[in-house]
Amino acid sequence: MRFSFVFSEMGIAIRRNLSMVISVILVTFISLTFVGTAGLLQQQIGSMKTYWYDKAQVAIYLCTETSPAEVCPQGEASQDVQDTVTERLKSATVAEYIDKYYFENHQQAYETFQTEFKDNSVAKYVKPEQLNETFWVNLKDPNQAPIIIESFNGLSGVEEVKDQRTYLDQIFSILNIASLAALSIAALMLFSAVLLISTTIRLSAVMRRREIGIMRLVGASNFYIQLPFILEGVVAGVIGSLLAGGAILGIVQIFVQGFLATQLPFTSFVGIPDALALLPLLVLAGGGLAAFAAGSAIRRYLRV
Amino acid sequence: MISISSVSKQYKGAPRAALENVSLEIDKGEFVFLVGASGSGKSSLMRMILREDLPTSGSIHVLGENLIGIPNRRVPHFRRKLGVVFQDFRLLPNKTAAQNVAFSLEVIGKSRGFIAEAVPDVLRLVGLEEKANNLPSELSGGEQQRIALARAIVNKPAILLADEPTGNLDPATSIDIMALLERINLSGTTIVMATHDRGIVDRGQKRVVELSQGKIVRDARGASYGVGE
Repeated sequence: MRFSFVFSEMGIAIRRNLSMVISVILVTFISLTFVGTAGLLQQQIGSMKTYWYDKAQVAIYLCTETSPAEVCPQGEASQDVQDTVTERLKSATVAEYIDKYYFENHQQAYETFQTEFKDNSVAKYVKPEQLNETFWVNLKDPNQAPIIIESFNGLSGVEEVKDQRTYLDQIFSILNIASLAALSIAALMLFSAVLLISTTIRLSAVMRRREIGIMRLVGASNFYIQLPFILEGVVAGVIGSLLAGGAILGIVQIFVQGFLATQLPFTSFVGIPDALALLPLLVLAGGGLAAFAAGSAIRRYLRV
Repeated sequence: MISISSVSKQYKGAPRAALENVSLEIDKGEFVFLVGASGSGKSSLMRMILREDLPTSGSIHVLGENLIGIPNRRVPHFRRKLGVVFQDFRLLPNKTAAQNVAFSLEVIGKSRGFIAEAVPDVLRLVGLEEKANNLPSELSGGEQQRIALARAIVNKPAILLADEPTGNLDPATSIDIMALLERINLSGTTIVMATHDRGIVDRGQKRVVELSQGKIVRDARGASYGVGE
């Protein structure tokens, strides 16, 4: 086995077939950038989920004067309702799921509303008695929200029991769809990358058919004949995946950390370490895919 | 050395068999001319000996290998024991004479040191050491065939197959190539040479195997080209 020879043969093959090799690099680059973006998006969803789900509460909204009559026929919830809810929150069956809870009356709700919507004109028209008195419940395990909802829904004087995660889930499902879209584009592009690599390698083999003919005649092993072609594909694939890795690092550094993180300071975003962790996977995927495509292409070419 | 028995070859779609019940024994150190008209089966027979093709029926043993049963992965190692030259030389146009010879050793994984010694030696043997750094396009036909011969014998094969090696050369150059082949033969290499060149066969007075329509019609030692052609 003479590696220097194999590599010099590979170099000759790449130089002769340069435009095709460049197109393989570009297609691999773009497709793996999509793969990497989808991966980062999934990580982002994951980290946001753990961050926000921990903070997500179950809200038990009590009836107000302005609540719809079909849920709150008796109007504003009385002190009795508050007592019933408190009692039930403290009862053994429910308490074991609850980390902590607190009560927010009309005035507190009004103050929170005023700070949250201070630039919004709606703040001027809202009156304290229009805002629900609310029991805010933090659960030990946010996944057990249905138990709480079950036990307070339909209770007289309670307008609605709402798991805040349902709002988050909408955001996450949008992000999920985006990452799925990125993955589908990536799958299509990877498929075309595989086809392009096999075409490139077959073209390269046709260009070097004299050499291949002589190699077979003098008894070069199939592995030795195939190796330069497989390496040609792998080199192109690895260069493409390194470029994709660079693009991902750039996206994280410039767009996510440089722009998003300054715009939304209280959200944790994926960082350079996440992107760096993705890099070896991309290189492995790019190189492996190219080796597979080039290997099967050259084997099929040599058989006939 | 080469043992062919009852070999037939029928190509798909061909009206008649390329080879029909051919049996042939060639011993170590022999020089055999394979003669016959185009399409008589000479090339098919050469391809079988090189295991580029398998017969439809019959058996072929070359250098102790049963070519019918040999697994595909062992074929390259088998071919290393054979040398081949063709009418069209088959040199790589972008490599020099020395690089062309070296290439055949590089691709079977020979060491740099071995190549550095073997290539000048074999170029000296074929009388082209001064042209080592010339490209094939800068060489005459006879010189190109000598480079091809050098490439075929550099790995010291036991058998040299020559398919019309003088087919593209003028008579004087052909005689030079024949002299070289005889010298290679004298060093112990078995040579099987397919040819149309009546002059060369008559001058050689060696074993002549004549094929016609896929059958052996004559096998004579110390013979001439024949009368039929």
